[in-house]
Amino acid sequence: MAATYYNLQSPKTFPTLLRNLPSIPSSHVSLLGSLDYPFHCSTRRGYHVEANAKKKNPWLDPFDDGDDPEMETGSLFANGLQEEDPRPPDDPDNPYGFLKFPSGYAVEVASLALKVRGDVRRCCCVISGGVYENLLFFPAIQLIKNRYPGVQIDVVATERGKQTYEMNKNVRWTNVYDPDDDDPEPAEYADMIGILKNRYYDMVLNTRLAGLGHAAFLFMTTARDRVSYVYPNVNAAGAGLLLSETFVPDSLNLSDGGYHMYHQMVEWLGRPFRDLPRQPVPPLRVSISRKLKEVVEAKYEKAGVKKGKYVVIHGIKSDSQASMQSRGDPDSLLPIEVWAEIADVIRDVTPLFVIPHEKERENVQENFDEDASIVFITTPGQLAALINDSAGVIATNTAAIQLASAREKPCIALFCSEEMGNKFVPQAEENKCVIISSKTGKLIDIDVEAIKTAVQTFNLAPVLV
Amino acid sequence: MAEAVMGFTLFKSHNLGSSLQRRRFQMNHSSRLHSNSTLSNRPWQVSEGKSKRASLCKVNGLPDWPLMAIIVEHMEGQRDLITSKSVSHLSDQAIKNVYTWYIMFTVWGGLFFGSMKDPYYDSEAYRGDGGDGTGNWIYEKQETMEAEAREALWREELIEEIEEKVEGLRELEEGVKKEKLVK
Repeated sequence: MAATYYNLQSPKTFPTLLRNLPSIPSSHVSLLGSLDYPFHCSTRRGYHVEANAKKKNPWLDPFDDGDDPEMETGSLFANGLQEEDPRPPDDPDNPYGFLKFPSGYAVEVASLALKVRGDVRRCCCVISGGVYENLLFFPAIQLIKNRYPGVQIDVVATERGKQTYEMNKNVRWTNVYDPDDDDPEPAEYADMIGILKNRYYDMVLNTRLAGLGHAAFLFMTTARDRVSYVYPNVNAAGAGLLLSETFVPDSLNLSDGGYHMYHQMVEWLGRPFRDLPRQPVPPLRVSISRKLKEVVEAKYEKAGVKKGKYVVIHGIKSDSQASMQSRGDPDSLLPIEVWAEIADVIRDVTPLFVIPHEKERENVQENFDEDASIVFITTPGQLAALINDSAGVIATNTAAIQLASAREKPCIALFCSEEMGNKFVPQAEENKCVIISSKTGKLIDIDVEAIKTAVQTFNLAPVLV
Repeated sequence: MAEAVMGFTLFKSHNLGSSLQRRRFQMNHSSRLHSNSTLSNRPWQVSEGKSKRASLCKVNGLPDWPLMAIIVEHMEGQRDLITSKSVSHLSDQAIKNVYTWYIMFTVWGGLFFGSMKDPYYDSEAYRGDGGDGTGNWIYEKQETMEAEAREALWREELIEEIEEKVEGLRELEEGVKKEKLVK
């Protein structure tokens, strides 16, 4: 829009006070940089860039010398956050009649203005992993929403991960595509590229570790910014050419990072830009629709518990796909025998067992009680609604503990080790979460007595509430 | 009679599979024979009736129609019985064309007329997806439904937030009122 009016002014024509002071201390070098970079400025430029940010890939755009320090923002460019509604005001006096946009608004270069301003109108997130990984991406989505008002966020996730977005109000469309699949069905692959290309995204975020192949997939979406994690090893070779921003994760498994597994991407998303300060990362929040609440209420009432008078027990060992574990913590399920022992201590409230598969029902009845309260829940949305109506949660490291902290419910989290607990629940006190970890590093050896004492304090919680 | 016989023999002496050109020539020959006879103005031929001449004229009128034989049976006191035998051959190309058209029509007809009254296309399975019969399809897509559900969720949350704010304001107002009452 406004960029079409942008006229170059020599630096001497306006007073220095009006000039935006660049963050790079020696701006005069950068002034020349746009002219002579490829010939003799490269070494100096490398130094500056290193001082400023991480190394830039010179292959992407040899003429990209970063922001133009001479560019005046504020009068014609909107400083600060982007406008929520990108639609230019209607012009009823337009001589061309049917064209309602103001004269001078050039449709053909509108996207150029977006690029110059760094606006993002349509954003796509390609999320690898299951429910847990998608749930932990929620703060990033909220961050994008806050940072770019009016942005439309779409998600491409695995079949399992897609279910999570039932709880996210900020997302527009979700598509099922497994980015972790190394050799996808050619038809599906081509179809997904076509879908993504047709939506004309401004930014594509990707959390699958990209090699050349996946980078090509992202490249073919023709999005303006292709932001992706790459392999931390040689497999990343060539991926950087097709991506505009790359993050190298700490390990091959992104989920090892725990709650802050996307910290590099989130840091980049919330980076200060022009006169915008760093965007704070919002906490994990989920929203539950009325319909979902009704469905789940019918479910738990059928299981024989009352609203606010039960404790959700999640994390029963099963070979089901719906266990909602994190990929970074494979040892995070307890067999039903241990759970029965723990549930025996709960007095004032009813323990409500969440089973990921119907075949577990018998096991629970055998080990705990013939008329134990059992609900069969596989989707994270229903689990969240269940936790929302509960008095609290006792769970191993599954999505349940994240949902409990998202809905601000008291929670007892059982971890296989202390550091794992700190990784996945970093702000335990704030979230009313009690972490109990095994001493040996194996979840099965967890100290049941410690859990029992924790449950005793937990028994008081509903009384206090 | 004599002429007809003559013509018959003439034809018979040639090969049936001979070229069209040659047949035409033969027919011309016969017609020439005939025209010669009419022109010669012989009384017995003139008196023999017009039927024979007419039939011969007809043959002449279709010079492309290959003629095999004309048999004129003459009986006293009756009209001549004229039988003309002809063989028509289509060329290979023409046969191919005919069969091509036949196949094309059959295929097209099978598709077209077959689809005219198909209960499947009026069934729920076909129309249920949103086909309105005009070729404009309105799909009820799962994704659109989900997106709408999320939008509704967003609105719900917004309403909740507003309600909370309104409640907070009300509490403040009530507090102010109570303070006033206390005063």
